[in-house]
Amino acid sequence: MKKRLLALMLAASMVFGLTACGSSSTGSASSEASESATSEDGASTNSTVVIAMGSGFDTLDPGQVYEKYPQMVINACYETLFKFYSNDGAAEPMLADTYSFNEDNTVLTITLKDGVTFASGNPLTSKDVAFSLNRTKNLQGNPAFITDTIASIETPDDKTVVINLTEPDGAILSKLAYSACSILDSEVVTANGGTDAEDAATSDSAQAYLDSASAGSGMFVMTSYIPDSEIVLEKNPSYWGEATNVDKYVIKIQDDANTQMMTLSSGDIDIACNMTEDTMSELEGKDGITLLNNSTKTVSFLMMNMDESIGGPVSDPKVQQAIRLAVDYAGIQTICGEGTTTPYSIIQEGFFGSLGERSTDYTDVEAAKALLAEAGYADGFDIDLTVCDLAMEGIPLTDLAQKVASDLAEIGINVNIVSEAWAAGYGDDYRDGKLGFTVMYWGIDYNDPNVQLEFLAGGVVGLRAGWTAESDPEIASLYAKATNAIEDADREAVLKEIQEATYEYGPFVMLAQAPCPMAYNSRLTGVAFSDPYTVDLTQVNVQ
Amino acid sequence: MVRAVKKLFKSNYLFTLGVIVCVFWIVMAILAPVVSPYDPIEQNAELRLEAPSLAHLFGTDNFGRDIFSRVIYGGRYSLLAGLLTVFIAGIIGTFYGAIAGYVGGKVDNIMMRLSEMILSFPSLILAMIINAVMGSNLFNTMFALVIVAWPTYARLMRSVVLSVKENEYVEAAEVLGASKIRILTKEIIPNSIQSVLIMATTDIGNQILMFSTLSFLGLGSAPPTPEWGMMVSDGVEYFNKFWVAGFPGLAIFTMAVGANFIGDGLRDLLDPKLRKQF
Repeated sequence: MKKRLLALMLAASMVFGLTACGSSSTGSASSEASESATSEDGASTNSTVVIAMGSGFDTLDPGQVYEKYPQMVINACYETLFKFYSNDGAAEPMLADTYSFNEDNTVLTITLKDGVTFASGNPLTSKDVAFSLNRTKNLQGNPAFITDTIASIETPDDKTVVINLTEPDGAILSKLAYSACSILDSEVVTANGGTDAEDAATSDSAQAYLDSASAGSGMFVMTSYIPDSEIVLEKNPSYWGEATNVDKYVIKIQDDANTQMMTLSSGDIDIACNMTEDTMSELEGKDGITLLNNSTKTVSFLMMNMDESIGGPVSDPKVQQAIRLAVDYAGIQTICGEGTTTPYSIIQEGFFGSLGERSTDYTDVEAAKALLAEAGYADGFDIDLTVCDLAMEGIPLTDLAQKVASDLAEIGINVNIVSEAWAAGYGDDYRDGKLGFTVMYWGIDYNDPNVQLEFLAGGVVGLRAGWTAESDPEIASLYAKATNAIEDADREAVLKEIQEATYEYGPFVMLAQAPCPMAYNSRLTGVAFSDPYTVDLTQVNVQ
Repeated sequence: MVRAVKKLFKSNYLFTLGVIVCVFWIVMAILAPVVSPYDPIEQNAELRLEAPSLAHLFGTDNFGRDIFSRVIYGGRYSLLAGLLTVFIAGIIGTFYGAIAGYVGGKVDNIMMRLSEMILSFPSLILAMIINAVMGSNLFNTMFALVIVAWPTYARLMRSVVLSVKENEYVEAAEVLGASKIRILTKEIIPNSIQSVLIMATTDIGNQILMFSTLSFLGLGSAPPTPEWGMMVSDGVEYFNKFWVAGFPGLAIFTMAVGANFIGDGLRDLLDPKLRKQF
């Protein structure tokens, strides 16, 4: 008995020791942070802004960046021909002064703005544009696909860029706004091992340089990048345009919501990019902190295979529509948290040409039951719903699956949830179109509604649902129609047609656009959620 | 025997506590449909993340499900997993170890090296791999636990058998011409089983914990099954809503500790020699 008591005390003392270690280390970390903040403040009072954002990337070379968070940094240090100034609209000219297409929309001619210089002092010319786009294409990195429709680039003079396209591409302006199409200072990059030659994938060695400094014309220059830890941006002293009053950004790569919440309330950071519903509720009503609840364009959806041998009952369009009617969209939005929306159909709210939200009143259990009976399943049926271990912006897909299962039980469909690890088979089955009924999510590659065309028959995602172009030529034809539309009015018309066509038809039920809860110190103005950049740092000012 | 157990209850309060806790959970698990006030998988979006109250003793989770009912139902899976795993692993390990120990020589060498191969893997990782490859459901999780658990029993059994087989009654049986199988099942196993039994009782708690760990990592039964480990993992998302993860966590804690107390007590009862050694 005595020995047991001794053991217990030993265990207790170990626990205390551990907690003591834990608290002392966090304590020292926070005091360090506040110290560095004050020392920085000493140099330039309060115009240093500290941001905490997510991780998951290991380079800041615009030709290689494909992840979500580096976009914020690239957007601050580099500039693009076109840019998304607001979160719901089309790309607008930035470095481009004017632009025009030829008659069959295969040649895009851009005139560059006058007086644009890089941070190095070199003037930005058409030569730099050609260099940057060719480099991205030839590096063959993750974002190289963005230049797939660019056949060649001509530079008749310093101010004119002629981009020859392989085919008409309605999304080309949005693509040119993507980080991979940032305009690099060709002189500086070449001097540091960069090249735009066709063998750039092997011969280009500028990534090391671009991970330590920036070579753009942006409002800020990167002075330090410690992977998975910290990025420092300082004001570009020779910025060609009008700059904000922020002198310095310290970006902490630290995505724990609770840490962000605590450091934001203590004033150690100014913008917290990775909040959760739970941590947001802690900050509600707190003085000096503003909360932002926006929906992203990352969308979760139910996929029902059109191939009867794989999908079984859910391959029947009537059953698909019954399921679409049975889902409790309001409930799903509650579970995903404030800011969640359900798109009208396959094009997310916030995209150019979007028809907005699907009304939460759309749910109609009685109509769903009637449709199910019409399809010959008056007593419902049993079905497996496969779900993997991934999460959509922090919302586990299994949560969505449980909600859907409970909704479908209302109309007599008995859903059995089958969990499969993404790495252990689910991923391959999903891509190969072998899943009959599943919940998945989709993050956009670049900010243009044309990325959603993949959800049409014959598109990449459509094929995963066994929806071939042959089986539905009418829907499939909308794909080409949309990519060929160039003028805004034409694009809007065809996008509307697509959304109406998939509103009550097709193998996909769009469930919810994930929210992106963020919070910031109220001393800042101009902080807004932006899909392409998370926060557009060139619009933030200190009051 | 009865007197000894009575004495154990009186002298070892931890054992008594363990029995109370375990009996409580077993009764709750069996009577779950009667005891639980709500359907454990019924969702109610209006009652999301409610704090514990009289209507919902343990509060509600992010689907508005009653956590109290879920914890009660969850006992079924954890108890089943703990008991069944130990039972099956014990049987496999006992026979495997007994054969290796009794036959000896090359057979012993090969058999024990095989079991050590499994032992040399970190058990949690091995269980995770098995589970990930086979797909995660309740049966596969238990299968993985058994695979990881049986070699320990085999080693223990073998070491006991090595000393038991030197006994004169074994020699006598051999002289009388009894078959090896008969000697193994009638002489050796009954005389060596005690230490395996002792280990099994202490192991139940560990297996419950291991099962919860696996389902915490998303490798248990599929949602919406109310399983303790999975409930804790769901609750981690809600840092400031302690009841979502707290109550199922408490259930795992009490169950595991209770089973360990019983194991300890039984060891004292069955094998006073072992007790002195510690």
